[in-house]
Amino acid sequence: MRILIVEDDAALANGLRRILESEGYAVDVMPKGEQAVAAAQREHVDLMIVDVGLPGMDGFEVVRRLRAAGQALPVLVLTARDALDDRVHGLDLGADDYMPKPFALPELAARVRALIRRSGAQTGPRIVHGPLVVDTVARRAFLHGEPLLLAAREWAVLEVLLARVEKIVSKDAIIQAVANWGEELSPNAIEVYVSRLRAKLEPAGVRIRTVRGFGYMLEDYKAA
Amino acid sequence: MAVRSLRVHLLRLLLPPIAAVLAIGAVGAYWVSIDPAKDAYDQALISSGTALAERIRYEDGRFSFDLPSAAERVLRTDKYDEIYYAVDGPDGRHIAGDFGIPPARRGQRAVQGVVRYDAEYRGDPVRVVQLDVPCAGRSCTVKVAETTVKRERLSGEILASSVLPQALLAVLTLVLVWFGVARGLGPLEGLSEEIRERSPRDLRPIDLEHAPEEARPLVSALNQLFGQVAESNLNQQRFLANAAHQLRTPLAGLQAHTELALAQVGPGRSELQEVHSATIRTARLANQLLALARAEPGGYRPETLAAVDLRQVVEGAADEWVHRALDKDLDLGFDLAPASVRGDAFLLREALVNLIHNALEYTPAGGHVTVRTGVRSLHGSEHPFLEVEDDGPGIAPAERERVFERFYRPPGTGGLGSGLGLSIVREIASAHGAQITLADGGPNGRGARGCRISLIFPATPAAEEPGQA
Repeated sequence: MRILIVEDDAALANGLRRILESEGYAVDVMPKGEQAVAAAQREHVDLMIVDVGLPGMDGFEVVRRLRAAGQALPVLVLTARDALDDRVHGLDLGADDYMPKPFALPELAARVRALIRRSGAQTGPRIVHGPLVVDTVARRAFLHGEPLLLAAREWAVLEVLLARVEKIVSKDAIIQAVANWGEELSPNAIEVYVSRLRAKLEPAGVRIRTVRGFGYMLEDYKAA
Repeated sequence: MAVRSLRVHLLRLLLPPIAAVLAIGAVGAYWVSIDPAKDAYDQALISSGTALAERIRYEDGRFSFDLPSAAERVLRTDKYDEIYYAVDGPDGRHIAGDFGIPPARRGQRAVQGVVRYDAEYRGDPVRVVQLDVPCAGRSCTVKVAETTVKRERLSGEILASSVLPQALLAVLTLVLVWFGVARGLGPLEGLSEEIRERSPRDLRPIDLEHAPEEARPLVSALNQLFGQVAESNLNQQRFLANAAHQLRTPLAGLQAHTELALAQVGPGRSELQEVHSATIRTARLANQLLALARAEPGGYRPETLAAVDLRQVVEGAADEWVHRALDKDLDLGFDLAPASVRGDAFLLREALVNLIHNALEYTPAGGHVTVRTGVRSLHGSEHPFLEVEDDGPGIAPAERERVFERFYRPPGTGGLGSGLGLSIVREIASAHGAQITLADGGPNGRGARGCRISLIFPATPAAEEPGQA
């Protein structure tokens, strides 16, 4: 996995490089947007982390050029500006996620993992989440290598949560993803499916958190 | 010269010319009306003189005068005045009537044989007409004199009748000026009212069309000032945004390296831990100062106002808080209904962030924090609200006012807060016209209650509600 960091602040770029390298990624750092756009066209890059406030070509322009050139790699935008304005702007231009500075490294690492996993899910059939391996094409799941039996509804709920690890998925969103056409599913039904999923996954350390009044969140897997 | 009261100043300016105009008017009116009036009395005397002249007889070289006593009584009878007459022959000899009526002085001009003049007779001022009348081919003289009581009364009356209306006019003018100034300044009063009622955030120019014409120079000077203040506010905002930007990047680097260092040496290195938490506090402080600056009156930017659903603001920020709550073993829950307000989404999010941050910071492990949005009926209208409730230690009633002051931290407060959080919330609430209330939260299981802070926004027009559901 190759990650390109586009950040002109050397200290920050260096810190990012070290944490990501410690996670096992190959990391390149470039201080300028123009270089990064050229590099992404020349070589294979799995994910790009771009600072908005670059000298010369700024981060938004980098994302715009990448997308204009048909590059679909996931892009995580970093910004030191007022969060909301930039977020709208960045995501409009085709960035995949966004982090305001300063940020905690573990959170950055988690976001990077989630982005890579998501882009992998688009291209490959296997999703790995700690001891949980999900084959989305064959529709089979394994826990610690053992086949995991899931009812259709449980499967659908797990898929939604896996697509958005570390993010809260609202009950409404789950209902929309799980319910068949014209079917009315109550939030209580979702609770039942989630508790069944929990019973199967939690012994292996895969945790689904309830966010009271909102929804559920599949926690990033941390090996104990 | 300092002009304290326009009214007094105007009156001072107006009084002398008004008095002068009145005086000239009175004198003019007097002279214009006194002459014809006196002339009428003179004509009566002349008629009497003409009648007397017809009574002169000439027989045998002698002049005689024949006036029946009844006619003489009629002649001499007057309500106010004594009337005297004298008839003299051509040689100046007294023929009849009263003696000693002073003759006209030489040089007094006769008009159609009549000389009129003022004189004194028997100690009283008199008006005399002297007629030269033909008698026996020569010229006799008839003098008729009258005391001036009537004439003086007339003068008095004429004077009174011309001065009185003028005086009334003067009083009326002054009254008009007195109240006219107040009335004339009415539009200015309206203008001051408009300026007084302005929000300090509102630096838009005053509409010149609405200002009275005379006040326009003042209004455009004010508008110029507004413009300059707005410009300098904008510069300050730019500076702050740049400063925050310049601060955050090195802080991000610092935080990254302390985290890396901590990961290498493992926990237990308290110095490094201190550096790390100081870095996070500093970063938070930088964010708060920026938010505070943006929420201040100068930070008002009408173009950033839009319809904002508080529910979406909460949902958008929920992710980052859930992790922190999980880390602290707090139950962070939500009770969200649509709540549309008109406002600045960035600032509203910042208010929420500070409220949740405080709740998570001060509520001990195992506690509950609940975020609510929705619409609440209050005094018969529907108010959108945003509320964060916790079952932490609560805020003592005596502290509830002060916690909104900048940098104030209640005594005994643990944690690492800057004391800015709630003042930011208050600033943002006031920027949105929202009321902020601080009440008891849920029981915290230690015999006390937590804290519930609500922002109650102004009632939105009912028309906006359905579109937000």
